[in-house]
Amino acid sequence: MAANNPKLSRRQFLKASASAVISLAVVGSAAYYFKDKSSVLKTGVIRPPGSRDEEEFLYACIKCGLCVQICPVHAIKLADWDHYLSYGTPYIDVNQQACDFSCDAIQCAETCPTAAINFKIFKHAGDKAIEELTKKYNGQLPPNVNPFEVQIIAMREADKMGVAKIPDPNQCLAYHGHGYKGKLGKTHSLLRPPGSQERIYIDEVEVNREICDLCVAYCPLGDHAIELKELGNGKFLPEIKDGCVGCGVCQMLCPTEPKAIVIEPFKGLETA
Amino acid sequence: MSFLYDFITRDKKRKPLPAKDRSNLPFAKLGFSFKEWHDSHVNTHKWRNRRWAFLIFINLLFVISFALDLSILEGSLSGSRLIGIYLMDPFNSAQELIIGSRTGYIAALTTNFWIGFFVILTFYWLLGGRAFCSWVCPYHFFAEMGERVRAYFIKKKKIRDKTYDISVKYVFWVGFLLLAYLTKELVFENLNPVGILSRSMIYGPGLALIWVVALLLYEVFGIKRFWCRYVCPIGVTYSFVGDVSPVGVKFELDKCGYCTDCQDVCLVPHELWFVKKGAATKEVHFTGGDCTKCGLCIDICYGEALSFGFKAPSYILGGDIKEEKELHPLEVPVEEEKKNEKA
Repeated sequence: MAANNPKLSRRQFLKASASAVISLAVVGSAAYYFKDKSSVLKTGVIRPPGSRDEEEFLYACIKCGLCVQICPVHAIKLADWDHYLSYGTPYIDVNQQACDFSCDAIQCAETCPTAAINFKIFKHAGDKAIEELTKKYNGQLPPNVNPFEVQIIAMREADKMGVAKIPDPNQCLAYHGHGYKGKLGKTHSLLRPPGSQERIYIDEVEVNREICDLCVAYCPLGDHAIELKELGNGKFLPEIKDGCVGCGVCQMLCPTEPKAIVIEPFKGLETA
Repeated sequence: MSFLYDFITRDKKRKPLPAKDRSNLPFAKLGFSFKEWHDSHVNTHKWRNRRWAFLIFINLLFVISFALDLSILEGSLSGSRLIGIYLMDPFNSAQELIIGSRTGYIAALTTNFWIGFFVILTFYWLLGGRAFCSWVCPYHFFAEMGERVRAYFIKKKKIRDKTYDISVKYVFWVGFLLLAYLTKELVFENLNPVGILSRSMIYGPGLALIWVVALLLYEVFGIKRFWCRYVCPIGVTYSFVGDVSPVGVKFELDKCGYCTDCQDVCLVPHELWFVKKGAATKEVHFTGGDCTKCGLCIDICYGEALSFGFKAPSYILGGDIKEEKELHPLEVPVEEEKKNEKA
């Protein structure tokens, strides 16, 4: 080190600082340049339930991956460098593995230390549901009502990851009155069917439907979100309702190629 | 700022003790020549081996905690949970806080975040700040291997070593925080080899590893230990707590043979400024915040002049700054005489 000669040392420091400032400026300009291109949502994937608005999410997420680790169905993946500033942030590719809410408590949100995936939304919704339930029964719950289940359903519906859309009804098997026979899904993905306590691998289960209604039958939110509507002439089409939160189970199970039902990432997430 | 600078450089600014003459050097006292003394030392690499074992263990713990679904050490080095206790990377947190101060996001952060942030700072304050670098950071491990490759090319005279002003890392530290503030993005995390390596090991490799490889190549053929020495703001953040840490590498002047071999193996040789002949200002010195507590200097020291040690509380608090001003230069040798009498 040139510490013994203060003049030389100062010159050396200024020189090094100049290169530091230049490189920081390059990095900063790159960050500005890539800001608009960064969202993973543009590639048709969704954020975990309860995620904040993209702009806020990108800095709120500390890229630790705790949500990845806690997800029991391994739905959450971390984005790579090809998503620029989204690098290290969690996303769900519903074609591979959708969020089937089988953890019940929205654990990815609960575990997030920086509240980028905001648990408060779910906690609030759950508490409110319990409150309303107790009010309904004048503070005393009858033994046949399970408050836990009511709470879970309220939590599921509390936030939207996206919303299901049917871009072209002609793709849909039910629209042509076709049934579906074969494996429940092509990918080795996990799913807990509604009403069941066990998870199954969708490529290990055979189904046989007279009219294809996989998206309706396996929707974790039930008839709040999707219903099969008869159009007459033996034609059917799923109708997506307000209760849809965009979890993507329907897209994961849809047997057509390309998928008749797809999730559109929800960009207008309200932040609590 | 100037107080901080005075605080950190307080030992350096004292009047140096007179250099020991040849007969007082440890090898002369034993009746050896320097070469005999030097050759009699067997480097067992005790601390290096312990450190590598710990580093591999802790990173492996991250990997198996996810792979085998054990709830021991979950997450990555950006943020993790050790048996239920959250730990947050301090520089990532600092960026988040500085953006949050602008957007009001600070209010949204969870209690776990604050616990993690303060636990990690307290933990590394106790263990000597940049101990994270050499005992945990996976990039440090690869950079150390890179240093060996570099040593080979230096021996072949293909490349030459040159040192730069180490203070440039403070420019990067402020700069990356400023970038976070201006762009509202955790800009540094996209270039952070610590996070990239940690995530690649735990969640599978990705494109971002290209950057880590490029950095390593630059460290081998360009500037020695470029990232760790001159850039890494995580290291700088830890060095702030390291400055007031109760532990450090302890230097005992009476055992030193002035060979300065410890500086050659050190990542931050300026922290060992006192080993040069006639540089020490006290009989006992401690390394400062930049020291990564890697123990390479302790392993190589022929006279065991260097060891891990605890600083006195009054020293950590800077109690000797006042004392220093009142001390008459002539009193220094008197103190030394007293010590010699005791011995």
